[in-house]
Amino acid sequence: MIDEKEGKIWAIGGGKGGTGKTFITSSIGTYLAKNRRRVVLIDVDIGGANLHSFLGINRPKKSLTNFFDMGTPLKNLAVKTGIGNLSLISGDIHSLSSDSIKFTQKLKLFRHIMKLNRQYVIIDLGGGSHNNTIDTFLIADKMIAVVEPEIIAVENMYHFIKNALFRKLRMSLKEYGFKEIIDHMWERREKYRIKNLRELIDCLKDSFSYIGDILDNEISDFTIYLILNKIRSSQDIFIGSSLKSILLKYLGINAKFVGYIEYDDSIWRSVRERRPFMLNYSLSRSAKEIEAFTENLIQGKELKLMRS
Amino acid sequence: MSRKENKKYFEILELSADASTLEIKSSYLRLRKLYSTDSIAISPIADEFSEKSRREILRQIDEAYAKLMVMLKDEQRKSKYHHKSLDSGKVSKREEKEEELKFSGQVLRQIRKKMGIHLYEVALDTKIRIELLNEIELEKFNSLPHEAYLRGHISNYAKYLSLDSEKVADDYMERYCAWKGGDKEEPE
Ligand SMILES: Nc1ncnc2c1ncn2[C@@H]1O[C@H](COP(=O)(O)OP(=O)(O)OP(=O)(O)O)[C@@H](O)[C@H]1O
Ligand SMILES: [Mg+2]
Repeated sequence: MIDEKEGKIWAIGGGKGGTGKTFITSSIGTYLAKNRRRVVLIDVDIGGANLHSFLGINRPKKSLTNFFDMGTPLKNLAVKTGIGNLSLISGDIHSLSSDSIKFTQKLKLFRHIMKLNRQYVIIDLGGGSHNNTIDTFLIADKMIAVVEPEIIAVENMYHFIKNALFRKLRMSLKEYGFKEIIDHMWERREKYRIKNLRELIDCLKDSFSYIGDILDNEISDFTIYLILNKIRSSQDIFIGSSLKSILLKYLGINAKFVGYIEYDDSIWRSVRERRPFMLNYSLSRSAKEIEAFTENLIQGKELKLMRS
Repeated sequence: MSRKENKKYFEILELSADASTLEIKSSYLRLRKLYSTDSIAISPIADEFSEKSRREILRQIDEAYAKLMVMLKDEQRKSKYHHKSLDSGKVSKREEKEEELKFSGQVLRQIRKKMGIHLYEVALDTKIRIELLNEIELEKFNSLPHEAYLRGHISNYAKYLSLDSEKVADDYMERYCAWKGGDKEEPE
């Protein structure tokens, strides 16, 4: 494994619930740790924290609750997982929804995440496209979206990624003092005959040439890494490259399709047996698939569809 | 035009500039299929985009493919010329034959193999007999069923490989009809 210089913070999201985000977070973490990387996993699925179950350990006593309610520094909340080099910061189960987190608390959490002293910080996001979820996704060096070959999951994924880009553009325009423009245009999109994000961007560029460069830079920096989970045939793999193509050609968003995992019953069995999948079934085909896309993520490469 | 100058077209076909002929072909057929039919990848977002933008994407894909085909023919001619000057005019038979740029049984076979798909998988999923699939790939025109059925099979097989079935079937049937009208000698 040769690591790219960048890519320290990885966030795993994608919109729809139950696509396998938490399972994938735990598996990537286990694989990196087994390969001598110092890794911390953070469960920020507020209200639905269950990452510990995929690692086969009990719910840690310390959690983000301590951070939010008592101001405990984030780094003091990391607990051992029983796997060398791998620790876990457990999610909050006391707050019912992520709406309840205040803006200043959120920024403080982001600052603490960025200061964690590990080679890899992997963030497991909850389902949905809530602003807090998306903002957490955006702090990552690698934004990873998990999707299933199924129409609702695909729809939610597009929604999630469009929202992510919209919020990112909004944030950067805010830095330059232009936040009102993007909000103004989007709110009056009927009047401006704007149907989608792509047209909003084009319209902004046409109307305000000075922000064109800002937008272009932000968009070309924005890359989504796609993982397709629960595929049921080798044909399904091509859905991954279709999604990537549509993101690019319709939305102008760069995406890399890094890999897939087949539907495998031993995955939930492994949770029931309370053993990390990557240790318990390390020789299975799905474990190999996870290793392959983790390597692609490390190196910033795409899945090669055609063998050479 | 060199590969570097054609960078834009490689990008439209979502390829790197060192892509092989086969990669160019299969990427072209895959993208044509994606933007000309409905699928779970496109339908959730389709209503945000007009028919016009879909057609524009298809036009760009066609244009990119046409340009790259010209480039490939150019490359072939140059390498032939190169060999000629080296071997004092002797050109091997293989090189003399312009590389087939249409979609033939052989191309289907190559694409399938590159994708790592076994013939039996295709047979199981398309319900086309494995022997027939093999004969289609090898263009054993003598053993193939009547035209009307044949076209359907070719098109199903192309769809299975996520390729534009119309294009593949048109090209294939053209070869079939040429054989039928000609001296009935099967290609080796
Ligand atoms: N490739 C797979 N094959 C079979 N089952 C899988 C696969 N991937 C995940 N699962 C199962 O799907 C269920 C949901 O997985 P997981 O909890 O990781 O999803 P999630 O995206 O984190 O959900 P949420 O949005 O609720 O947080 C689990 O029971 C898991 O064991
Ligand atoms: Mg989860």
